[in-house]
Amino acid sequence: MFRLPHFASRVAGAAGPSPRRAAAALVAAAVVLGAAACGAGATAQDTAVGNGSSFVTGSYGTTVFQSGARPKAPDVVGPTLSGSKFRLSTDRGSVVVMNFWGSWCTPCREEAPALGALSRYFSAAGVRFIGVDIRDDPASAEAFMATFRIGYPSLNDPNDLVALDFSGTVPPAGIPTTLVIDRSGRIAARIVGQASYSGLKALITQVEAEHG
Amino acid sequence: MTWLRTPPEARPDAQAAESPGQDATAARDGQDPAAEGQRNAAAAAATSRAAGRSLGAMGWLRWGWRQLTSMRTALILLFLLAAGSVPGSLLPQVGTNPSSVSQYYSSHPLLARILGDLGLFNVFGAPWFAAIYILLFTSLVGCVLPRTLRLVGSARQPPPRAPGNLARLPFAVSYATPLAPEAALDSAAKTLSAKRFRLRTGPGWVSAEKGYLREVGNLLFHMALLGLLVSIGLGGLFGYKADRLLVNGTSFANTVTALDEFHPGRLVGPADLQPFTVALDHFSASYVTSGVLAGQPSSFVAAIRYSASPGDPMHSYSLTVNHPLVVDGVRVFLIGHGYAPEFRVTDGTGHVVFDGAVPFVPVETAGLVSEGAIKVPDADPQGLGFVGVFLPSAIDVGGRLESYFPAPQNPMVSLVSYAGNLGMNSGPSQSVYSLDTAGLHELPVSPRPLAIGQSIKLPDALGTLTYTGYQQWVSLAITYDPGQTAALWSGIAVLAGLLLSFMVRRRRVFVRASTDGAGNTIVDLGGLTRSDAAGGFEEEFAGLAAEISGLQQGRTEASPLVDPDLEVPDRTGPEPDTQGSGPPAPEQPDSPDTEQSDSPDPEQSAGE
Repeated sequence: MFRLPHFASRVAGAAGPSPRRAAAALVAAAVVLGAAACGAGATAQDTAVGNGSSFVTGSYGTTVFQSGARPKAPDVVGPTLSGSKFRLSTDRGSVVVMNFWGSWCTPCREEAPALGALSRYFSAAGVRFIGVDIRDDPASAEAFMATFRIGYPSLNDPNDLVALDFSGTVPPAGIPTTLVIDRSGRIAARIVGQASYSGLKALITQVEAEHG
Repeated sequence: MTWLRTPPEARPDAQAAESPGQDATAARDGQDPAAEGQRNAAAAAATSRAAGRSLGAMGWLRWGWRQLTSMRTALILLFLLAAGSVPGSLLPQVGTNPSSVSQYYSSHPLLARILGDLGLFNVFGAPWFAAIYILLFTSLVGCVLPRTLRLVGSARQPPPRAPGNLARLPFAVSYATPLAPEAALDSAAKTLSAKRFRLRTGPGWVSAEKGYLREVGNLLFHMALLGLLVSIGLGGLFGYKADRLLVNGTSFANTVTALDEFHPGRLVGPADLQPFTVALDHFSASYVTSGVLAGQPSSFVAAIRYSASPGDPMHSYSLTVNHPLVVDGVRVFLIGHGYAPEFRVTDGTGHVVFDGAVPFVPVETAGLVSEGAIKVPDADPQGLGFVGVFLPSAIDVGGRLESYFPAPQNPMVSLVSYAGNLGMNSGPSQSVYSLDTAGLHELPVSPRPLAIGQSIKLPDALGTLTYTGYQQWVSLAITYDPGQTAALWSGIAVLAGLLLSFMVRRRRVFVRASTDGAGNTIVDLGGLTRSDAAGGFEEEFAGLAAEISGLQQGRTEASPLVDPDLEVPDRTGPEPDTQGSGPPAPEQPDSPDTEQSDSPDPEQSAGE
């Protein structure tokens, strides 16, 4: 501990580590860091998760857009499960609730009774409900709708074209996703994951009360 | 080479060479006495300063930064990063296995709450884990950046002054010449300059240095290392990885809802995915049909169509293993394949409640026996479930069903039937490949395997399942890494820089000319290389010495045919005898660096 500073600096001069050695250590560190960073990047996520069940469930919760900052919904067009044609823009002037679902998806099945009940509750007020059936076969989808007494139509979307229409705006970030679209065709709220009866009811009531 | 006075084996700087066993980390970390001494000195200075007045906010900041960017801290952080990932592999993780996590919560409620609060069920997303790798990143950048700047300085630095006694250098020679000292120096300088040495002159001396490319290599290495770190960081922030299983004849779009697995970078949201579409028209796998390799795959080709964004025209592409589709910067790899048998299920009321292909997962490769589950939760009066195997080339081996070939030569399924509650109306999400049989009871159905077109009629009028055919599926890996190209080039540059700094040596040649008592001009040449391995410098120095001395004598003796290698210098001058002057002093190798303060040696200053 009582080395003379002069001696110390001399030794430093003679036997100081070469940049190559330090550099080699840095390379090792960088490689490990790289691996770690990749690992972290690949798995660190609290937005949407792959869960080994072969579909992505969302955990975003609810996003409400204030009336000035609502993204415009694309004009979704496509065939429904029953074979008729649906066009979102024909519902302009009404509040539209759009629900992305699949008959195979547990949270979709869990929220289905609430959606069915709300569609009946708001039908007198002119609120339109439309489902988008994802990665499903039509037979299972029809059986699902019968089980949960879903009276509103659903688009048959085996090729994800409806979700693709929303890319760049407010895409469904998991299954299920529920969008509340206001009278002017703008997205007022998004629920990713299972929607609750009371939560969705409050959102629809709020948007429905706006003057379109 | 009789005039090489000091043999390379006896070079005093060999003593100063770092011992090979001393590893770089120890050296960097100050475990060698030198750095420790410096640190002690710095600590002593800090203490004396602290005794006088407080360090002040800036002082503390500087101190903290120095600690953070030390190799010791980087290594500790690296260790913490490794240790921190351990619980990620020991405990179930929310990101990969949420149902196991909820199981853990129900079986160990208190422990699970504590572990959950510590973020141990989502290690790679935990704030403490992020803190470790952000600090590590900062530490590495903070370490590399100043080194880079110092290297720029050292690459531009002129050679040091010539030391007083050139005879003490590891390579030295002296000769007499009839030229005047100035003329001798001039001629030596010209020779060295022609050999692209960087020159510095002074009264009675010339010093020359070559091998600055080594510093360029060092610089390249450090800058490329920074580039590597930044590009890895970019990939981690803006890249994503995803998987998707795609059945023949179907298509999907690159949106979150269409993906099986999605691993976004920290700054990637669902709206950031490139909106391309991929349709699988036909997948074909070929297998070796005879010989010892029978059953081995020979080729996989997926004929796909894709479009870069909605409304764009579709393009055809032949996707094969290791030939990814590149669309909008995203790469789509073919990573697997399998079979998806098709079923139609009619329930007790006569409604078709399921009609489609169900991907089964291969559980062995020789015959591609695959397992899967068919879930019909909405069948009336009871939900139905089936688990079983698909056998591409089924054969009965003593009562056991096996598949003798991976291609579909005799595609059959064998299923076990269940009825009851599939548990899909609440609770955690299930795997689509297996059945939760907790609320189900097995139906007494003969386990007879089905050929295409055959049915299972369920008892108690619960319904009918028909095996209608099969499709093949492919699994696709979708990767987007905006930093990948940059990382590749940075990696190449790192290697190039490292090679350059390993292979190029900095070497110095000093010339002093003086007049001795008899009026003769004595020229002293000294050579020094800063690398541990001098390989080649001995010859280079000898050649230079011969050229310099030969040129000058050649001129005086007007003998144009003189071969410099054969021209032994005339040793009329007094020959300094280093061998007899006792053991070399420890500072000998550094004697050219006596002006360290104004011209620090790059290897020393940069090496801390």
